[in-house]
Amino acid sequence: MITRKHIYLSIIALATLLCSCVNSSKDKCSGNDCKISVTDFRGKQIGFKEPPQRIVCLIESALSGFYMLHAENKIVGVSSNVYEGNVFSQYAALDERIKNKSLPAPGNWDFISIENLVALKPDLVVMWASQTEAIETIESKDIPVYAVMLKSTADVYKEINDFGKLTATEKRADSLIQYTKAALSEIATANNNISKTKQKVYFMWSQGPLETSGTNSTVNELIEMAGAKNVCTSADEHLVVNLEKVIDWNPDVIVMWYDANKNPDYVLNLSGWGNINAVKNKRVYELPSVFMCDLWTLKFQYAAKLLSSWCYNYENKSVNLENEKAAMLKKLYDSKGESIK
Amino acid sequence: MKNNKIIVIILYSLPLPVLFLSLFIGPSDMASVSSILAFFKHLIFSGNAETFQTVQAILWDVRIPRIILAFLVGGALSISGSSLQAIFRNPLVSPYILGLSSGAAFGAALALAFAFLPVQVSAFLFGLLAVALSYIAAIKHKNLSIVSLILSGVIVTGIFTALLTVVQFLSDPFKLQSIVHWTMGNLHNASWKLLSSSYIPILAGVIILFLMRWRLNVLALGDEEARTSGINPSREKIIVLVAATLASSAAVSVAGIIGLYGLIVPHMVRMMVGPDNRQSTILNFLFGGTFLLIIDDFSRTAAGFEIPIGVITMLIGAPFFLYLMKKTNIGWEN
Amino acid sequence: MGELNTAISIQNLSFSYEKNTVLLNANATIEAEKLTVILGKNGSGKSTLLRIIAGLLPYKQGLIGISGKELKIMSLSERAKTFGFLSQKHKAVFPFTVEQVVLTGRAGYINFVPKKSDVEVAETAMNKVNIMHLKDRIYTELSGGEQQLVMMARVLAQEPKMLLLDEPTTHLDFCNQIKLLTLLKELTMQKLTVIAVLHDPNIAFLYGDDFLFVKNGTLERPAEPIKPWSAEYLKTVYEHELQSVPYAGRALIVPGIIQKKQNDR
Repeated sequence: MITRKHIYLSIIALATLLCSCVNSSKDKCSGNDCKISVTDFRGKQIGFKEPPQRIVCLIESALSGFYMLHAENKIVGVSSNVYEGNVFSQYAALDERIKNKSLPAPGNWDFISIENLVALKPDLVVMWASQTEAIETIESKDIPVYAVMLKSTADVYKEINDFGKLTATEKRADSLIQYTKAALSEIATANNNISKTKQKVYFMWSQGPLETSGTNSTVNELIEMAGAKNVCTSADEHLVVNLEKVIDWNPDVIVMWYDANKNPDYVLNLSGWGNINAVKNKRVYELPSVFMCDLWTLKFQYAAKLLSSWCYNYENKSVNLENEKAAMLKKLYDSKGESIK
Repeated sequence: MKNNKIIVIILYSLPLPVLFLSLFIGPSDMASVSSILAFFKHLIFSGNAETFQTVQAILWDVRIPRIILAFLVGGALSISGSSLQAIFRNPLVSPYILGLSSGAAFGAALALAFAFLPVQVSAFLFGLLAVALSYIAAIKHKNLSIVSLILSGVIVTGIFTALLTVVQFLSDPFKLQSIVHWTMGNLHNASWKLLSSSYIPILAGVIILFLMRWRLNVLALGDEEARTSGINPSREKIIVLVAATLASSAAVSVAGIIGLYGLIVPHMVRMMVGPDNRQSTILNFLFGGTFLLIIDDFSRTAAGFEIPIGVITMLIGAPFFLYLMKKTNIGWEN
Repeated sequence: MGELNTAISIQNLSFSYEKNTVLLNANATIEAEKLTVILGKNGSGKSTLLRIIAGLLPYKQGLIGISGKELKIMSLSERAKTFGFLSQKHKAVFPFTVEQVVLTGRAGYINFVPKKSDVEVAETAMNKVNIMHLKDRIYTELSGGEQQLVMMARVLAQEPKMLLLDEPTTHLDFCNQIKLLTLLKELTMQKLTVIAVLHDPNIAFLYGDDFLFVKNGTLERPAEPIKPWSAEYLKTVYEHELQSVPYAGRALIVPGIIQKKQNDR
């Protein structure tokens, strides 16, 4: 007869079996064993004997890097944000599995289903360093975590470099970085030749017209790459400012982060903004897409080019950055880049 | 009694100087006190103020609408709170008790996430919907029991809070951040447009409550007393409820959730001038408006960024209230 | 007694709370400008009757005529100008002053805020009850007896034709009971009809003009020659051994058992 005790015992046995399956990651190593070793953004070292073959990437921008490195075949799980309107069509063009919605998404920047994640048997999870509780839980199951925190373009380079090491595509990573750096210095040289006074830019996040970024942010770097000046000189990464301040600053250009529900007309019609130069002269621009302009990927060069042309080449209506965009996508994603719209 | 009269005179005369002085307070370096004074001088003596375009823009486009909005929002929340406390005969009641805040927050979040309606409109409608639901749930045999009303308010609040969580859960980080900012209360988006969309319901509610000010005394005595002295308590309560909901949901829709405000100010006013609603109703509007304006003056100048006003009302208002509670008689002895 | 002097006529009145029948086919007339006392055991329906007349409990069966007009069709303010109702216990929450509380009695006359004339009526009412000295005191800080007098003044400020008082002496000390009953007598002189529920038959018989007994869901007035204060009759009302002691043309009532025991000695 099967007793309750038997049932408990079998459950425990089953659980142990499951755990051992998950834990039997043979690629893990310690000390000098490690062929591959990277230090993530927490300063934690993670090492592997062999490149991890089952990667779950819970950061949408980081996932982009894996596609640039042609390492997408190692991706077994993605962020659920990939399936959202803003970026879905581009990822669908890059990956049949996403197009068919067959690539599992066990979580995102906010919430993670540990059960679904563990079921994917990953040997590496890429996620935000801010998700400390989830990281602790995942690491306690002996799954290594590469935690990401991006504050500057240098961080973006480090991220792609580390992904290169982890997926044995270091050369590719290096060439992508070199390509991006070259593109940026091209913008810088072009701007030097213009030698106008620096244009003042106000950056507007999609949360609201008064939400902007200060000097300690990727936005600030982007504006400087474009040869312009961020009007907000506060050190904060993200802050809400007073409209009085914006009127004081009187920016020449307003750049809006992409928002499906807004366009520059929204800013031009904002009550109380009429006296600001950028509004008066209708120099309000919106970054065209999250995927194309993601400041947390190597694609930020495109945003920098856009910004630069909005600041210094706005009178020339014939400027067309579509070719430049296509060239960048070709470079970053190779042949697949052509199919991204 | 004499002491009381002095306080009343101070409360009546406080708003004007505070409204005026607030014109001079703000983070702008261009619109400094001296340049504003120079601008006024020009305006009065030469009638030509073109050289002061920036000052004029900051005063006219930013400060004045914000000052008026802060005053109206503070006044609306306080007068609604005091009226509801009177008809509910309960000191724990605030305009949010019937689910208004959670309904409005859900409405705002829904609009922020899916953009099917302007945020203010959606917040206003869902605020009203939440109150209506609590009210309908509480009514039994055409009778309105206060206990069931508070209870259904708590339940409806729970439901809308859960729905809000669902929306937050489905939102991306940008939208989530806007939702969180909205629920913290904010006046930094104040503009003439926002003001024009909210002043009618706010003033309509305030005027109705002002007219009802003495009747609140009758209602505060209890249903039987009101009924036998010729007032239909259910009907009058509904009038007060509708007016208070109208004013406070319009306030919430433009300023987000300003926590505890509608609860604290009525107590403060009662501590200062006593419970007679004939006097305290209008003083709640005046003092509520003035006090929120002072808090907002602080919130827009204290730091380089905007401090959400709901946070300040909690952090300044609540300890100040506790201090008053310790020092004076709260006035709810039974 | 002529039709003209009838203030309230009750015909076939029935009332029940859920399944608990309180009044069944009750009939009675109440005379105008008299102090009518309603007596009966606890839970017999005295207060219920008063509340029905005050319009606080809706009745479905029976008729109640107020000076010839059916109670049901009277508006709230018409009722307020006719009846002043004083409940057993009032629970105040706000620390209003006495004057503010008394003033609320004028609600049926006031559209938005009280006028000067309303304040004067309130002051007259306070004078009648002799509480003018309490005018600016805080109602919630008064003693139970004082609060009862304030509520009495509030009801008088209503300027009703009839007073409905539900056990008005409950919270009063002996001295204040006498004062209140004397006041009620005076008010009947001023052409007010006073109907009071009392649980002390002695106070009732000392001051009352007319007596109505609630008994098994009906209203009863003992027919001549039976006197209301006769021990035999009261035994049927209170279902208890009673003894009446003749006093001032009427009688005082004492429990019968004590009398017997004393006689045994």
